[in-house]
Amino acid sequence: MASVLTGQGFGKNIYDKRMTSYQEQLSILKGAIYKNQAQLDAVIAVRNHINHHYEADLNLDLLSQTHCISKYHLLRLFKRYYGQTPRQYLIDKRIEMSKTHLEKGLSVTEACFAVGFESLGSFSSLFKSKTGKSPSTFQKEQLSRSMLKSES
Amino acid sequence: MRVTVISIPVLDQEKALKFYTEKLGFIKKKDTPLGGGNRWLTVVSRDAQDGPELVLEPAPLHFEPAKVFQDALREAGYPWTQFDVDDVQGEYDRLVELGVEFSMKPTEMGVVKVAVFNDTCGNNIQLVEEL
Repeated sequence: MASVLTGQGFGKNIYDKRMTSYQEQLSILKGAIYKNQAQLDAVIAVRNHINHHYEADLNLDLLSQTHCISKYHLLRLFKRYYGQTPRQYLIDKRIEMSKTHLEKGLSVTEACFAVGFESLGSFSSLFKSKTGKSPSTFQKEQLSRSMLKSES
Repeated sequence: MRVTVISIPVLDQEKALKFYTEKLGFIKKKDTPLGGGNRWLTVVSRDAQDGPELVLEPAPLHFEPAKVFQDALREAGYPWTQFDVDDVQGEYDRLVELGVEFSMKPTEMGVVKVAVFNDTCGNNIQLVEEL
């Protein structure tokens, strides 16, 4: 197409620099579902806020006030762009970070509070449902593995 | 049921092993002979060695439709699969330095930034960073 428009013929350079069909599809997609930059900026800012303050007492009210969006709008937008609610994203982030704490040898209770959970019971059951094992089993496995590593 | 392997069709397993370990930084996990010079060959992410394994399998050599599909995807620029990274631009710079060819430079797409490179074994691979 470019060759017809520019009249330069199918030189190798032109051929190499054409958009792939994948890139064409992406740019169509971008125009169709990612055209509202203000919305994108807002959800990206909220996600960053969760990443940096996951251990704090975060809730939808706080996030919506901090980022000046109504909370139902925020909930809808976040879910639309990230495929999860802010709450689900926060829980995944906390569980992920708690694994790092457990690997470093913090107790289950310490890890629970370090990532912002307020109840040991809900932390343990969330951990188990997300990872398939309890925090203490996870920790035992990790510690025995690192001992094996240091022996070998 | 659990997800433990993700298949990547490759034209040359030894070349693929080199590329995926030496350039991309994966670690070899399993390597078993399967006869006829074929191997059950898997690599894992350095940061998640218990995570899913990539099976570098010689499908396009032995099953013509696999080759046809792989060729068509590659020529249209579609990624076979994608890997998450913390910093697409940083990874792009590192890989370009190592001679890896990109068909798409780091590009923002909504809430992610993506780039696409050629794995030299028949596939495009996409890198993704969540913004």
